[in-house]
Amino acid sequence: MKLLTHNLLSSHVRGVGPRGFPLRLQATEVRINPVEFNPDFVARMIPKVEWAALLEAADTLHLVEVPKGPIEGYEHDEKFLRQMHHVLLEVDVLEGTLQCPESGRLFPISRGIPNMLLSDEETET
Amino acid sequence: MDHEAAQLEKQHVHDVYESTAPYFSDLQSKAWPRVRQFLQEQKPGSLIADIGCGTGKYLKVNSQVYTLGCDYCGPLVEIARSRGCEVMVCDNLQLPFRDQGLDAIISIGVIHHFSTKQRRIRAIKEMARVLVPGGQLMIYVWAMEQKNRHFEKQDVLVPWNRALCSRLFADSSQPGRKQPCAHSERSHPYHPPCSVCSCSVCFQEQCHSQRSHSLDYEPLMARMCCADISKGGEEENGFSNTLGKSFRSWFFSRSLDESTLRKQIERVRPLKNTEGWAHSTISIQPSPHASLDSGPQEPFSTREQNLDEDVFVEMSQKQLEWPRAPATVKHLCGDQQGEVRRNGDGNFLEGTNTSENGMNAGDVEEGPPSASRILRRISALDSTDSNPEETISVEDQQPNVLDSRAFMRYYHVFREGELYGLLKEHVAELHVLSSGNDHGNWCIIAEKKDNCD
Repeated sequence: MKLLTHNLLSSHVRGVGPRGFPLRLQATEVRINPVEFNPDFVARMIPKVEWAALLEAADTLHLVEVPKGPIEGYEHDEKFLRQMHHVLLEVDVLEGTLQCPESGRLFPISRGIPNMLLSDEETET
Repeated sequence: MDHEAAQLEKQHVHDVYESTAPYFSDLQSKAWPRVRQFLQEQKPGSLIADIGCGTGKYLKVNSQVYTLGCDYCGPLVEIARSRGCEVMVCDNLQLPFRDQGLDAIISIGVIHHFSTKQRRIRAIKEMARVLVPGGQLMIYVWAMEQKNRHFEKQDVLVPWNRALCSRLFADSSQPGRKQPCAHSERSHPYHPPCSVCSCSVCFQEQCHSQRSHSLDYEPLMARMCCADISKGGEEENGFSNTLGKSFRSWFFSRSLDESTLRKQIERVRPLKNTEGWAHSTISIQPSPHASLDSGPQEPFSTREQNLDEDVFVEMSQKQLEWPRAPATVKHLCGDQQGEVRRNGDGNFLEGTNTSENGMNAGDVEEGPPSASRILRRISALDSTDSNPEETISVEDQQPNVLDSRAFMRYYHVFREGELYGLLKEHVAELHVLSSGNDHGNWCIIAEKKDNCD
């Protein structure tokens, strides 16, 4: 699971609503996956990133060199874009958990795949 | 009601995909061109989700966008992951995304697996929720109106039976099965079976047919198999591919009640290799396999009779926004020629019947080189194939029909206009941009309205 994916994920435990974001990340196995750098692609992602969530996740993973936010003229700042590229796309959580900040419910990540299914009881309306 | 719906889906959607997932590995059916086009038209840097991604065939279509694959079925997701895709396991009814985070979503052959109207609406609303205003959603669902077969009912169980494949493979390879394939009945109503069996069902269907008729079943298949085999060598994978096509043709849906027609069929054209097959359509009767929609349960056949004619007439007259596959009325072998040519990796657009949109009759599956893999793949057909598997009649309760090795998938096949109506009536946050038919599927592209609307 990449951090860009994590940035989109929210808990859908019943009653939690927007307080289900962001999910608290814990990782027991992380891999760095080289991904071809596409500056235009990364630049377009920047406005869509929820920064607080990204920083929180990056912090949990003890990542370094993570920009704290978009900087002036970021679209043409290769260093910035490369750092963002790395954080968003190259860090891959293979094993770990995602926790709903409101309910505490844990969603597992196994073999790089988050499992966001709720049980029957949890989804009963 | 919702619980029963979930149970039905568990048994006849989730468990089936989970069990048959191993047979999907390596066997990717080709991406529908119109879907590919939709994905390629998205702006670079878009965040896109494929809800119901299966093994991930659409996840790498556009390298300029970030595409997340989501599926309820863990094994399928694992396969997609092994291909290097970013994926997760989740439920369409409870998407684990924050509101308005995604630029586009595709839902290809998914909504038709929900067994109640309410659940179908919920699934669509969930996808709308996670779209940004202005974001687009593309939905494909299996159409009730098919060009070579007819679903008599909208709620059906479709079997997937491994055993059939071995059988077909053996049979098709026999040289004796030559039948003349240059039949022209596709271009005009096909009446003989009606007079032969003179059963009420045939007349119900009005034999407007250009639709194939259950009674066509055997001769149709035979002709198609013949045509397919004769096309061997068209593509790189040659015979295997061709054989694959012919297998698919065997999986015709027999939409008419087996008890009425099987005798006729066996009398008219006894084919030994049909023994032990699952036959005819499973139409889900009010209980226990009802469509589970609340509201008056009309007798299915009555409903059919009333609406069929209208739907069919509408189809032949209506001009859909998207160009059709080359005529719903089509010479059968002509279809097959088109289909067969289109097979093979990336050879889609080189086929005989490429319209501008690349919408071709029939199916677009790739063919892996080994025949044994073909067997598995053909049997595990994508629901968006134009020649879907046979469907089974559950109401007949015939033990030999329900092969214990047959996995049956539940589908609610959509009538023309039904999907559109669903969005229009129940999903106010979406505005329909276009709708049409593609390869036997009803398709819609809708846009998330701005908040101020």
